Formats: sequence, structure tokens, C-alpha cells
Amino acid sequence: MITRLPRLTSKLKRSLLTLLLLLAANSSIADEINFVMWKPDHPEVWDRILSDFERQTGVKVRVEIGPNSSTAAHALVSQKLKNADPDLDVFMMDVIWPSEFVSANWIESLYLFFPPQDQADFFPAAISACTIEGKIYGVPFETSGGLLFYRKDLLDKYGFGPPATWDQLVEEAEYIVSREQSHNPALRGYCGQFKQYEGLVCNMQEFLLGNRGKLFDDVERKSTIGFPANLHAVRYVRDKIIGKVASRGVLTYEEPESLHVFIQGHAVFLRDWPYAWEIANNPRESSIAGKVDIAVIPHFTAGDSASTLGGWQFALSTFSRKKTLAWQFIRYMTSPSVQKTFALETSQRPSRRSVYNDPEVLSGNPHFAQLREAFEKARPRPAIPLYPLYSSIQQRFYQAAIVYPDSSLEALAAEADREIDRLLKLMSEGKP
Amino acid sequence: MRTPYYGADRVIGYLFFLPLLIVLLIFSFIPIAYSFFLSLYQIVLGLPRLGENFVGLANYEKLLEDPAALNSLEVTIIFVCFSTVLEVCVGLLMAVAINESFRGRGMVRAAILIPWALPTVVASQLWRFAFNDQYGIVNYVCFGPDIAHYKAWLADPFSALIAIMLADVWKTSSFAGLIILAGLQTIPDELYEAARVDGANAFQRFLFITLPLLKPSILLALIFRTMDAFRVFDLVFVMTQGGPADATNVLQFYGYKKLFDEGMVGIGSAVSVMVFILVLSVSIFYLNLVGTTLLKKKETLL
Amino acid sequence: MTGRKGHRLILGATIACIVLFSVAPFAWFALLALKSHLEITAVPPAIFPRHISLEAISAAVFKYGLLRFLKNSVLVAGITTAVCVAVGTLAAYPLARLPIKFKRTILLLILAAGMFPQISIAGPVWRILRALDWLNTYQGLILPYLALTLPITVWILSNFFGELPGELEEAAKIDGASLFQILCKIIVPLAVPGVFTAGILTFIYCWNEFFFALLIMTRSDFQTLPVGIALFPGEYTMPWGEIAAASIVTTMPLILLAVFFQKRIISGLTAGAVRG
Repeated sequence: MITRLPRLTSKLKRSLLTLLLLLAANSSIADEINFVMWKPDHPEVWDRILSDFERQTGVKVRVEIGPNSSTAAHALVSQKLKNADPDLDVFMMDVIWPSEFVSANWIESLYLFFPPQDQADFFPAAISACTIEGKIYGVPFETSGGLLFYRKDLLDKYGFGPPATWDQLVEEAEYIVSREQSHNPALRGYCGQFKQYEGLVCNMQEFLLGNRGKLFDDVERKSTIGFPANLHAVRYVRDKIIGKVASRGVLTYEEPESLHVFIQGHAVFLRDWPYAWEIANNPRESSIAGKVDIAVIPHFTAGDSASTLGGWQFALSTFSRKKTLAWQFIRYMTSPSVQKTFALETSQRPSRRSVYNDPEVLSGNPHFAQLREAFEKARPRPAIPLYPLYSSIQQRFYQAAIVYPDSSLEALAAEADREIDRLLKLMSEGKP
Repeated sequence: MRTPYYGADRVIGYLFFLPLLIVLLIFSFIPIAYSFFLSLYQIVLGLPRLGENFVGLANYEKLLEDPAALNSLEVTIIFVCFSTVLEVCVGLLMAVAINESFRGRGMVRAAILIPWALPTVVASQLWRFAFNDQYGIVNYVCFGPDIAHYKAWLADPFSALIAIMLADVWKTSSFAGLIILAGLQTIPDELYEAARVDGANAFQRFLFITLPLLKPSILLALIFRTMDAFRVFDLVFVMTQGGPADATNVLQFYGYKKLFDEGMVGIGSAVSVMVFILVLSVSIFYLNLVGTTLLKKKETLL
Repeated sequence: MTGRKGHRLILGATIACIVLFSVAPFAWFALLALKSHLEITAVPPAIFPRHISLEAISAAVFKYGLLRFLKNSVLVAGITTAVCVAVGTLAAYPLARLPIKFKRTILLLILAAGMFPQISIAGPVWRILRALDWLNTYQGLILPYLALTLPITVWILSNFFGELPGELEEAAKIDGASLFQILCKIIVPLAVPGVFTAGILTFIYCWNEFFFALLIMTRSDFQTLPVGIALFPGEYTMPWGEIAAASIVTTMPLILLAVFFQKRIISGLTAGAVRG
């Protein structure tokens, strides 16, 4: 039987036209992706780059500005992912989230888009932080790592160079402070962040790994906080740093408080993140503008500098319905030219190593040379899915160890290891 | 009150309750029951593949074995005991002072309400700044420009807890004071007159007339402050994040971290249930002390 | 022997101490809003700013969106207060004036609901709101606030209603009025002080609440003042001046309420307390 084709009445023609228009409209709506990030310092640059992207590809990026603090951003993003929200395509991922997000199946693996030969231009520590079980889950965008800031004017005055080891730092700090006491009684030697929060873990890791310590045995999947090299480093912090070359106040400092001490001219050395460079050299914000220089984090004689890795990476939500478009956006934002633009026009630190060697970038930001050195030696924090809980246990251990002068480090470390092993057991229970 | 109350009225009267009941049911009673329910399961938000397993009272057992949890309980009890006693004492002083009549009494009353009216989050920021070891006002008040003696209040476990207590006393003493003030105002003047005639001085009058008659108000102030003190959270969240070395890790902060930071919903719910039971027990204990008096008065009103 | 004069002196000194104790810390903190960044963290601290700088205040408004938080606080607190007073009045009336069975138990249950620790109900409330897709919405915050403020409102109102003379209903009934009309036209106008007090206390509570606001509103366009201020800090920066400026804006309305209505607030807080 031949099925008769319907005659194209005018009514039918009109409906077909409407349908076509709707399809056309939908496909332009489909060329829009949602991106969650923190508030940028230079929104004009971002606006320009995003509209460049739209011009080149026809894809519009809808930006949602999230909170500034990492914890609050985590709450916002994880809430959307928990709800399998399809309105989230790309977001900024902190360096300690990948393991948790991968375990919960919230982010998409990028191994198809981002092969190892492309990964080579990025800092190895950042790539390692985004790689879970051999697969890559994020593209580094902004790099950060712990740095040693110091008062170049004071070190020059007494003929010192930047210290390479902690012993040297203690020696230089004590010497300078004793000589400057008379006209700067508030001067301390060293300042860092040792309050009971994530920053404590970052600071302490630099001491531990800088002594060839080991937090985690990947082969046996066991926590090794009780490792002798670790305890030696913790003991050093407790006995030679806190209350000696650094005031006991550092036990209450997060980044703002420690930076305030430094920019008021009351510390010789400061351990902080790269953001401090702009503030310390801004005459309106700092009383020591122009007198600051940076060096890599010191280490113990046995070890090597081990700056803790920070920074942000692009991640792709598993629930996104526009993954190809999202990848286009990610590739664009991490391309060498865009990275170079950010380096030249904003205070952001790029994630591509080649940008740090670019002569134009270096002439505008000479300190990028030291930054590159620090980032090449950066070490990520252990990748454990229940990272907040893991961090809590570590924070508790470190604080108990350094607050009480006669604490038994072996006993405290053994307890922390036990708790972490229990945590690991919990995580492996559900493994297929 | 003899009110004519006929058939249709009866139904309407019960209907008036309905909105209140619905809101309280959905957002108070069901959540509490749900918390009980959740505390019997093992739920880890960061590991969804583990699923939600029924574990009975295992979470409570884990809590009783966890030194951090026991430490939280200890810290909370110490905080509750000392801060409530201090608040009631300061409140008593405030109440006695503003009960007298003097010019500008209204402005003074408004002034003491300021700490209470301030959002706790703002008050917490204020005291976090005030206790800073470099530019905090507390050090300046104690030691002036003598920087060498400035103390890092929040770095020492002992002084950190005292700092939190001080901030709480500052914020809530006026609340206790007002409750006591109400009681003060019910003491008839004739009693004082009679005592004065008998030769009692001001101090004796206070000790033998005021204090005994204030007992119910003082107990009421203690009830309210105790129940609130068990729930302290904002001060710890802003000032110390539970540190140093868990010295200020109160129960509600410990539970908050477990529930919302670490995603351990089962254990976090168990903590919240324990806080609930504690607050309930304390209120029942106090109400037994004061309750009969309170409820008797209620009956004449009802 | 301390006579009248000595007595007045001690009283004056005590009052001065109490006022200083209550007001000084806040006044000092408020002054931070007028200091430049370097002055705020200067060691040793100075109480008064050497040069008055308005950059903190303008930054708080323009860079941190203070006015948006203010709008959200006004909306949430205002709506909650209005609804709370309405629902509370409805519920308090039968409790105070109609022969309901188990009155005492019901009142105690309602009061108990107001004493639940936030942590015990926050998690489940969050789950309920997520199921309704009401996170980051105004109703998602207003409803839990209602549950938290209704108990004390009902308590205060039932006291006030209870003290009104009992014959009111009789007269109205004879005139053929319905229960609802009696409530609206007779009882409420007479209990306006109580209604007012309950309203003020509810408003203050909602304005200052932090825990639930922090959990339920994660998007900055819905956040209220306390949460907004708590999240002013950047990833690594703490803008003390801006926080102080925002704190003043947050506290001013409440201070004004306290100054003008201290009598009502006090009588409301002591409702249910021992009375002569």
C-alpha cells in the first residue's frame, strides 16, 4: 500500500517554518556554556578574553561568580554536582579537590582531549594533582606555591643572601633581629600560617617533605606520618621556630594576619603564597614597598625545597550536556596566547612553563624567574577522596605537636596514622 | 475565662493551630526525628559508592571512643559552666544597677542592649580582631605600647578558651540581666522599708531580701543561658576554628565539621542528637527546680 | 558610713563601668571603618584614626555589594516577621483563651521546638529544602526561620492574650461575631504591645541569624548581611575596614530599634518570667 504524502497546506507550511525557527533558536541557545569561577581582580581583561572567544567560536560563556574562599567555593560547586545540575559545564577546581570529585563521579576524564604530549608544557606537580589513577581530570590554569618572602634591605645590610636551609634562615633571622631590636622592637624573624586550618597543612608539608619526609606510602596504601624524617621536621618547628624565631602568635595566623605582620615591617622572613608579592610592593598597602624579594622555600640539609602546590584548574562536569563546547573553552583559556595575556595584564600566574620563559613576560615580571623555580619544585598534597577529613586529622596532629612543648610526637603520630588508616579502610571497602 | 465555645467554633479554634503545626512539624520535629534516623546509618558524602548502610548504634560507639569527640564534650561543659555563671553574675550586677532610678536610665538600658543586638558573626569578628597578638585592642588595654609583652591570646589553649568565654559574656550578659531585672521589679518596696527600720544596711538588705527572692529569676536566667551556651558556634567558627589544638572545639562546631565539611553524615547526626539530648536533659533538670513555680503562674493566666 | 551620697557615687561608677563595658568594644571596632589599611594593622594600635579614610566604606558598598546583602536581609527578616506574627497570633489565641485539651503540654512542646540546637535540625532541613529545590530561594530561608521564631512569638502572644479580660468574647458572641472576627477586631487591637514586641524580637533574630543562612544561601545574590560579611574575606585577604563598615550598616537598625523600643524589648524578653 502506498502511503499518501500529506499535501503541504498553508497551515502545515506555517508550522514547519515555526519548527525550523525554533530549531535554529535552540541551536543558538545550545551554543552557551555555564562557567563558575571566583571574582577576578581584573574583570575587564576577563570580559575581553571571553568576548574574543565568543567571536571566534560563536560560543557564549555565562559566568557565575562564586565566593572567594576555597571552602565556600567547594560548598557551592559540590552542591550543584550533588544535584547532578546540568546547568554547570565548566568550573574552577582547587588543587585539593580532584580526588574527591573523581571518587564521586562528578568530573569528566579529559584523557581524550588532553594527551601527555600536551601536558608536558604544564608544571609536573599540577598535572600530577589532576591525575587520578593514571587519568587526567583537569587542566591547570593558575599556579601557586609556597614562597619565602624576605626583606632584601635588611639582608643586604648585614651581608646575607637568601637562606637555602632552615638552619641558615634561623641563623640569619636571629642575627638580624638582635641587631635591629633597638629601633624596631616589634621585629620578628619568621612568620607563617600555623592556625588549625588547611594552611597549617601547607606550611608543615614544606618542612616535612623538605627533609625527605613521606606522608603516604603509595605502594602499601598506608599513612606514614610517624616516619622519622617527618618527626624530625615537626620537632624542628616546635623547638626552633614557634616561640623562638617566630612568635607564638603564628599559631593564630591565617594568611592575612601573617602578611600584615610582614608589611608593617615586623618580620624579616615570611612564608606566603604568590599573591603577597603585589600587596607587599604596593606603597598604599605596605610600608616596605620595594624592599621585598622572593626565594624558594628553604629545606633541611638532607632534602630539597618542597613548596606546597596551590592553584586552580579547569574541570568539566560529568553532568554537562555540552562537553565538546566546554572543552573548546578550556583549551582556549589554557592556550599559550591567552595565558600570556593574563600574565602580562593581570597578576595571575600562568600554568604553562613556556610563558615563564617568554622575554616579554619576564621583562614586565622579573620575579617570574624565581616563581618558575619554585613551581618546578612544588609538591602537591596527598590525593585522598575524603581530603577534608584527612586534612582535619593532620591539622589536629600538627597543632597538638607544636602547641605543647613536651608533646610526644611518636604517640601523636601513631594515633594520626591509625585514624588515617581507618579512613583508608573505609574508602577501600566500597571498591569493586 | 468563661468563653462560649460552640461546635463550629471548636473546629475553627483547632484550625487556627494548623499553620503553626505545619511549619513546626516540617521544619522542627521532622528534622529532629530525621537526625535520629540518619545517626543510625553510615553515610559518607564523599564516597557515594559506599551507599547508605544501617549500622545501628555503631556511630554512637565510635563517638564514645573518639578522643576528639570526648574532648569536645569536655570543652563544651567547661565553657557552659564558667560562662553561664559569669553571665548571671554580671547580669545580676547590671540588673541591680539599672533598677535604680536615675536620669538617663533609658539610654543606659539601650546601651547594654547593644552587645545583645549585634549579630553574633559581627561580634565574633570584633573579638577575633581585638585578641590579635599584634594590633588587637585587648593587648593595648593590658600593656599599652609595650609590644614585647603582647600576648597571643588565641594561641594558648587555656587563654583561647577564656577569650571565647569573655566574648560570650560580653555578648549575652545583658540578656541574663534583663531576666533578673524582671524579677527585681516584683520585690515589694515594703520589705526593704521594714528591713531599713530594723537597722539593716544596704549590703544586708541585698543578701537577705533581694537574693532569696531573686532565686527563681536567677534560675530562669541560668536555664536560658545554659541552653544557649551548649549551642555556641559562631564565636568558635570565626575566632579559632576549634583551635589551638582543639582547645575550643565545642560540640556544635565539631558536629558542623563532621556534617558539612567532612561529609560524615551518620556520625555528624549522632553528634547533633547527643547535643539535643544534653540540652533537653539540662532543661528538664532546671525545669524541675523552677518549673512548678512557673507552671503554677501559667495556670492562673490560662 | 556610706550615706546617700556614697550610695550615688558607687552607683554612678558601676553604671559607668557597665556602659563602657557594653559600648566601648563596638565603638572601637566601628572606628576601623574610617581607617586606612595600614592604620588598621598598625602596632601598637591607635584608637582614633589619624586620617579619616572613606575607602573602606565605599569598597564595602561598591566592591562587596553591601547593598545587595542589605536588601536580602530586609526582605527575609521583614517577610518572616509579618508571617510569624500572623501565624503566631492565630495559634496563640486558642491557646490563651479557648478551652483546648492538653494546653500545657502543647505550650511546652512548642517552647521545646524553639530550643532545638541548630545543628540537630540543619542537616535534615537542608535535605528537605534540596528535595523541594528551595535552596538559594527566599522561601527556603523564611520557612526555617519561621520554625525558629514561632515558639517565642506564640509564648509572648499567649501571655498577652491571656491577660485580657475574659468577658470580651461573651459580648461579641451576643452580637453574633465569628471567632475570626473576634480575633481580628477585638483581641488583636488590645494586644498591640505584645504583637509589636513579638515582631521586634522576631525581626532581630532573623536579621542576625547566621547558621542557616550560611547553609541555605550559597549564592551571593541571595545572601543576607551576616553571611555576606562572613564571606568578605578573599582567598587570602581579610578586609577589616570593609567588614567594620558592613558591621555598622548591619547593626545600626538594631541599635535604633534598641534605643527606641528598649522598654518593649525588655518586657518581651521577660515574658513568661516570674511576674508579680
